[in-house]
Amino acid sequence: SAAMEEAEFDDILDDWFIEYKDLHVYQLEHPTQVIEWTSGRTVCVAGFSPSKNEILELRLPRKLFADENKGLCAERDFKVVHGGFTDRPVRCLRHVPGTRCAVTGDGLSSNLQVWDLGGDDSDVIRRTGSIEGRRRRTGVSEGGSSIAARPSSPPQILHGAQISDVQLTELSSGQTLYQLESDSADPLSSLHFLSDAVFLAGCSNGNIYVADTRTSAAPQLSPPPPPPVSSGESVLWWTDASAGPDPSGCRVVRLSSSGQALVSDLRNLGGAVSRAQLDVQTLRCGPDDVRVSWAPALDDCIAVSGFSGAVQIYDASVWTSELQEARPLFEHRGHAVSPEQSDDGVPPILVTSHVWHPERPRTLLSAASDGSVHVWDWVDQSAADKR
Amino acid sequence: MPEIKVTPLGAGQDVGRSCILVSIGGKNIMLDCGMHMGYNDDRRFPDFSYITQNGRLTDFLDCVIISHFHLDHCGALPYMSEMVGYDGPIYMTHPTKAICPILLEDFRKITVDKKGETNFFTSQMIKDCMKKVIPLNLHQTVQVDDELEIKAYYAGHVLGAAMVHIKVGSESVVYTGDYNMTPDRHLGAAWIDKCRPDILISESTYATTIRDSKRCRERDFLKKVHETIERGGKVLIPVFALGRAQELCILLETFWERMNLKAPIYFSTGLTEKANHYYKLFITWTNQKIRKTFVQRNMFEFKHIKAFDRSYADNPGPMVVFATPGMLHAGQSLQIFKKWAGNEKNMVIMPGYCVQGTIGHKILNGQRKLEMEGRATLDVKLQVEYMSFSAHADAKGIMQLIRMAEPRNMVLVHGEAVKMEFLKGKIEQEFSIDCYMPANGETITVTTNPSVPVDISLNLLKREMALGGPLPDPKKPRTMHGTLIMKENSLKLVSSEQALKELGLNEHQLRFTCRVQLQDPHSDPDTLHRIYTHLKSVLKGYTIQHLPDGTVMVESIVIKVSSSAEDTNTKVLLLSWSYQDEDLGSFLSTLLKKGLPSGLC
Repeated sequence: SAAMEEAEFDDILDDWFIEYKDLHVYQLEHPTQVIEWTSGRTVCVAGFSPSKNEILELRLPRKLFADENKGLCAERDFKVVHGGFTDRPVRCLRHVPGTRCAVTGDGLSSNLQVWDLGGDDSDVIRRTGSIEGRRRRTGVSEGGSSIAARPSSPPQILHGAQISDVQLTELSSGQTLYQLESDSADPLSSLHFLSDAVFLAGCSNGNIYVADTRTSAAPQLSPPPPPPVSSGESVLWWTDASAGPDPSGCRVVRLSSSGQALVSDLRNLGGAVSRAQLDVQTLRCGPDDVRVSWAPALDDCIAVSGFSGAVQIYDASVWTSELQEARPLFEHRGHAVSPEQSDDGVPPILVTSHVWHPERPRTLLSAASDGSVHVWDWVDQSAADKR
Repeated sequence: MPEIKVTPLGAGQDVGRSCILVSIGGKNIMLDCGMHMGYNDDRRFPDFSYITQNGRLTDFLDCVIISHFHLDHCGALPYMSEMVGYDGPIYMTHPTKAICPILLEDFRKITVDKKGETNFFTSQMIKDCMKKVIPLNLHQTVQVDDELEIKAYYAGHVLGAAMVHIKVGSESVVYTGDYNMTPDRHLGAAWIDKCRPDILISESTYATTIRDSKRCRERDFLKKVHETIERGGKVLIPVFALGRAQELCILLETFWERMNLKAPIYFSTGLTEKANHYYKLFITWTNQKIRKTFVQRNMFEFKHIKAFDRSYADNPGPMVVFATPGMLHAGQSLQIFKKWAGNEKNMVIMPGYCVQGTIGHKILNGQRKLEMEGRATLDVKLQVEYMSFSAHADAKGIMQLIRMAEPRNMVLVHGEAVKMEFLKGKIEQEFSIDCYMPANGETITVTTNPSVPVDISLNLLKREMALGGPLPDPKKPRTMHGTLIMKENSLKLVSSEQALKELGLNEHQLRFTCRVQLQDPHSDPDTLHRIYTHLKSVLKGYTIQHLPDGTVMVESIVIKVSSSAEDTNTKVLLLSWSYQDEDLGSFLSTLLKKGLPSGLC
């Protein structure tokens, strides 16, 4: 319709115009809650409807990577390089580094599916097996597993739905190599390897555990800061740990559903190096909605998504130990600025996931509940202004 | 078994050209006749040896159908019709018929005049070829002959592009050509009704892609133009009059208006006249919005876009110019390019594919020094941007089209089978139809299950209804008795009497007679009575009568008893039945041969 075309045109002109070095907008047939790198140029996405879903491995457009001759490259599309079918929702997908293997969780039980992503001789992603999760405490409501992987030979994954379940499993044999010694039923929101053996488990109640797969010692526990007195609802927490050559230099960011962010050093998780009140809409969020992540190639930058239809980039270097309001360094609003969106009772579009490119400093991918997937490389306006 | 055969013609796995052979109901149809733009030798032509080893193709093809004017779909047409030889009908839409010869002539000029090739068609051949063309209108059924009919559907993609429905008897095939399922600024989206063809043939080149949004492509284009203008540079956009030029003009006009920009935008006059002429002719092929605005004003009466004059190219300051031809191979666009190439503030935006041998092709391959006429070299310092605006369906688009047409089988051409297994699985799962992916030169055979319509006479129908019993149940076929008459192309089912009458034949009755001997020490009438009693106990549910004339009748079978002349205890039973009661008759004769049971009274 004419109105839609006008609105679409306004989108082009609105801040999109100046603030991106690259911008690509795609529409998947079904929304994804996962975006996982399987190489420097390919990602996996998958559907999460209750029954039939597709898992797709997509290759990013050549134009994005053609840094010197960008003008001569016209190719802007995703290529579906591999695809497969599953009859469960995919709530979590982890690529096992150094292999063509991926592991998925359906968010309903702690059992996981193992997949072969396929090579050059076939474009089909096939299920090769499954891994049973542990259930040490029965009667506790089942939730989905978190999964983490780091390069190892033979391939292994760390997984669990709650602290007491966390185990390291060898993929080919299914053998359990390590089990976290704890009775705690704290539900997990994420698992992160800090080194080959040391890992961090973030719980949705804000507890953080740090353990070592080489020892059977009890994990180190660090509780979250106390919630503000005013909040009546229970607060949910999400965590990310920055990667680095030296795990002791690692920093951890914790984000609450009330929008409070805390940065701590691994060596002193109980204390906060800095904190901030983020500029997010704190409507009711589910434990699966929010993502917080450190930029792998940009100092002190954190990306936050899931509170709305936007992805926000914050510069944590300007945060202090006093809780103050922080403004985002950059906000990607593309998912919510859609001509199809109307105000009449239609649920708002939320960003379901985001990832940073492992090497390109300002390249991110984000996905939203309407099936859109964006690839964007933003321009740091503050740095530009300083020139 | 009835079957349809599909063969993509071509060598190896190359995907650069479309030429598909379909055999349906005894008819052979060629779909598209494209040139492969990547080869300089005979490999660029489709491999017609599949049709016949030598000689003309006329006797082997019932018709040729061209989907749209892109060279990879029609580039080899004059070669096929005039150099290999084909005199039959060539079908294409009106806009395609008007535009094809222009592109073919352009292409011929580049190939022969610029590159000096010899085994190529001439201008006269293009003209002779176009004389064989019969134009098609949308949604209009055309009878190619008594049995073969075709119909064109709107495909979007470019002006005049069509998807074609081919029908012979009750078997049909739909070929998509290139199409897109999302409308753009000047064309609508492809559409077809639920025609349920036996086969839907689609290109699979883009089947495994997910397209970047139009919004992002436009954003990139506008950003590049804006940046160049802002730094005082000039933007050259070489276009083909009837390609994306309209799209880009509409876009720029809107942008200039919104941003209140002052730099001039020009459109070379040749372009305007030609484009106007064609768009007026083919206004129904554009989208709704264009049709509306065209009614109010001329296609190229833009507020911010003016007619170009050669001298403007030397004016200082920023400007944007649309000029032909699209590949910078001659004419005005090349002239302007030569003037602006040396300034790095300027930009040239190539909105489409450029054929080998053209300047466009060279600069898109990164060449920064060009050899011009008279051994002069041109330093290419301006910014070169390659942008693709062509509208193609992607993975989602193919699924949408299948949902629309509801084919019984799917054929994907021009893809590597190994890279298409997932899509094949997706189609098979979602629609429960078979998906075939023939390689070039490979024939796939699809078995069809055509329904044969038969007319039934009213009398016969009434008679069956009058028999009573439960109403007909589609799950439980009921046997009925009739005669099938095949006359000309129609089939009808009538009662036997009516058939005899129509054919002028007399009905003959067949009666069988059988003699059975049996030992029975009774009088003839008594034996008959014993037979009657025996049969009545065995054949319950049948009508058995003992008639006063000394016979027993079972349904219509007559049984008589007489004694043998030599021995009165040897009875001779005479059984007689009509052809209709053959089964019962043979049953009775077998039964009675066994004799009568002793306990009968």
